[in-house]
Amino acid sequence: MPASTAESSKAAPAGAPGFTPELQMANMLGLCEAQMESALQESDRAVDALVQAFTCLVDTTRSVNALTDQLPVEFRETVAVGLNQQVEAISKQMASAVVAFQFYDKLTQRLGHVRYSLSTLALFVCDRSQAASPDQWRRLMNTLRRLYRTEEEREIFQAMMDGISSEQELGGATSTHKAVKPGEIELF
Amino acid sequence: MSGVILAVDDSASMRQMVRFTLEGAGYTVLQANDGVEALELARTSGADLVLTDVNMPRMDGLTLVRELRALDNYKFVPMLVLTTESGQDTKMRGKQAGATGWIVKPFNPEQLLATIARVL
Repeated sequence: MPASTAESSKAAPAGAPGFTPELQMANMLGLCEAQMESALQESDRAVDALVQAFTCLVDTTRSVNALTDQLPVEFRETVAVGLNQQVEAISKQMASAVVAFQFYDKLTQRLGHVRYSLSTLALFVCDRSQAASPDQWRRLMNTLRRLYRTEEEREIFQAMMDGISSEQELGGATSTHKAVKPGEIELF
Repeated sequence: MSGVILAVDDSASMRQMVRFTLEGAGYTVLQANDGVEALELARTSGADLVLTDVNMPRMDGLTLVRELRALDNYKFVPMLVLTTESGQDTKMRGKQAGATGWIVKPFNPEQLLATIARVL
């Protein structure tokens, strides 16, 4: 959390001296950011453990494959064929897992952008003259728009700017992106 | 398949996914955490192909491509960008920096291998 956001999170309770709605809002935004950071750190540890387990699985599968190749000739047509088929089936599942794992990387990147947006907004609302200026709001929106780099982030940003509610956009996004599909490849 | 591939990404899990895929196909994989580390590694160990992310601390992937293209032994080495960014502007900046191609994450292992085989 930036220092100034941390400062703003010292907002006084309602009715107490020093209470302002802006400071309360900044405090709440800081809370959201902290919750997100904590959840991400926990997830990182869990995903690291999963990646380690997956690494072991990959290595074991490769070892089984190598051992199969060393089987005596009399077993090649019986045992080896069956084992090879099983290894091939596992390899196909692993390829799907490799694609799925990458979505976590994408998720942490997108959540990083959300956290930055929250801290930027917390600082913004604390400055009353800035928060009262439509031009400053436009500048803030432009800053956030440049932050969003994935196709999904840009689509959601544009939809919200066009006045579509988050529920409507998420409904649309679900139908558009529900398939876990790999990204595009372009050679120059 | 044989050849040395330099994989650059600040995410350890992404580097692992790239490593599984490439080593499984017979390539040797060198790994770097960011552009600075990759540049150092590229200078000391030769790579036949570079696969890099864009947004990384210290040095981003497009600067890395530009820096590598300035080195005599990397002028013609294929350099693929592997990123979540799909905007045309960034792609064009990648092309201008000297990238050979652009792959949007998540990559499909089979398609990644086919693309590498095509440019190597």
